[in-house]
Amino acid sequence: MLKIFQRLWIVNWAEQWQYRANSLMYLLYWLVSPIVHVAVWTSIANANGSVNGLTANDFVNYYLLLLIVDQFTSNITIHIFAYKVQDGSLSGELVKPIHPMLTNTLITNIAFKTMMLIGFVPVWIFLAVIFKPDFASVTWQGVLLAVPAILLGFIVNFLLSGAVSSIAFWTTRVYSINEFYFALFVLFSGQFVPLQLMPKTIQAIAHYLPFQLQIYFPIQLIQNKLSPAEILQGFLIGFIWLGVVILLFKWVWREGVKRFSAVGA
Amino acid sequence: MHTLKVLSALLKINIQMSLAYRADTLINILLNLMWLGWELLSLSIIFNNTSTLGGWGLPELVALLGVFRLVNTLMIALVWPNTEKFNQSIRDGSMDYTILQPVNSMFLTTFSRITIWRAWDLMLAIVLIGVGINMSGDSVTLFQILTFVLLAVSGVIVIYSLWIVLIALTFWFTKFDNNVTIMQALLDSGRYPVTVYPVWLRIIVTYIIPIAVATTVPLQALRGDLTVSRILLFVAIGIASFLVASQVWKAGLKRYSGASS
Repeated sequence: MLKIFQRLWIVNWAEQWQYRANSLMYLLYWLVSPIVHVAVWTSIANANGSVNGLTANDFVNYYLLLLIVDQFTSNITIHIFAYKVQDGSLSGELVKPIHPMLTNTLITNIAFKTMMLIGFVPVWIFLAVIFKPDFASVTWQGVLLAVPAILLGFIVNFLLSGAVSSIAFWTTRVYSINEFYFALFVLFSGQFVPLQLMPKTIQAIAHYLPFQLQIYFPIQLIQNKLSPAEILQGFLIGFIWLGVVILLFKWVWREGVKRFSAVGA
Repeated sequence: MHTLKVLSALLKINIQMSLAYRADTLINILLNLMWLGWELLSLSIIFNNTSTLGGWGLPELVALLGVFRLVNTLMIALVWPNTEKFNQSIRDGSMDYTILQPVNSMFLTTFSRITIWRAWDLMLAIVLIGVGINMSGDSVTLFQILTFVLLAVSGVIVIYSLWIVLIALTFWFTKFDNNVTIMQALLDSGRYPVTVYPVWLRIIVTYIIPIAVATTVPLQALRGDLTVSRILLFVAIGIASFLVASQVWKAGLKRYSGASS
């Protein structure tokens, strides 16, 4: 199994390296909105002293940590996998005795992340120099707790994206479904603002949805903002979702592959 | 006159093409409304926590959202589909057929694909601008509205010209597929007044990829922040950028040698 992953890594890394200019453009694209949000919220916090108890520094911390957390927890499964169903090239992967999503697509994601990381590290340092965050609230145990949370966030959202992209087996196109999925993410993950600034009802719902595992929960852990009971509850919700998405993904995949008609074959 | 005739023919073709995907169009309109809902919610979140953003009030940000959506529609309805077609035509040499037509090649390249249903988006943007102006009440004079429209048009022309220059670069560097991604990447900055950004970001989105010229600047005219000489300067920039872009396009076209010959 390890050898299979090694091989897939070599192929996928070579491919990423070939498209490095594309990846850098994507990096730029992905960076702009958090930077805009830092600027907007620090300007508001500076004008009013603080926003709902959050100071300008809290916002700088939040978005700089968001960049790191999102870098690790996000995935591009929907963008790479739906194409393969659409043009039928998935056929070639289905005949191999390995799971296409859990091997090749997973490694493509990791190779993409690695490529992004090469560009991301210097940019992040540049941003840290400019915005001068005071990371006083960040502690070692916070970071150590965040590592499993980030891993959990990645796995849950990877499988969820996998299930969403598998809808392509029925509909061929998933752009609209993907856009809807992304809207839910924007609303419930804490990507726009720290969730405590969202309307109360949205906060209450977001707490029980898997999207905050990808952004808000790990950031709160790193910043040491949660009580032990809240930490426990957060992980509990995360593991329940892990169970749910494993079952969901297995079911959608099994039913989907049966429907796969392999365009062009 | 001739150009208008060609444009109406192009519109007809594009309407026919989009009629093939009616269900798609409906879903897209619904998604578009969903995003509008989100954008208004995000503005309400901001203004629940502050009374002004960089000195601007809620009415001004609603109008700014309208102007932002105007530029965004330009990107999605015109820039992306035509760029894709153009890049393809440089690679496979089908640009030959475009040049052979007895119509201005720059015009034909930039208007041959139009995502028709986005006209809906355009209307929505204009409604938002109207609502924003209405919300500001009596404080807006007719002169300010006129200069706003003038600078919005000239800002869109600046963006259009930048697009021409970016795709014309493909004549020199054939493998320049990312030509407009940089515009799209920085577009999100147009949602908020450029005055809240740190200086380096302000310089980038004002002078290098001038998104702000089409978003913040017209709104400043609406607020009455701009002197007459500033307004004239921005109009001059609009005209100049279009002239420069046409020249770059002509120079680029001379370098085009086809893909097969």
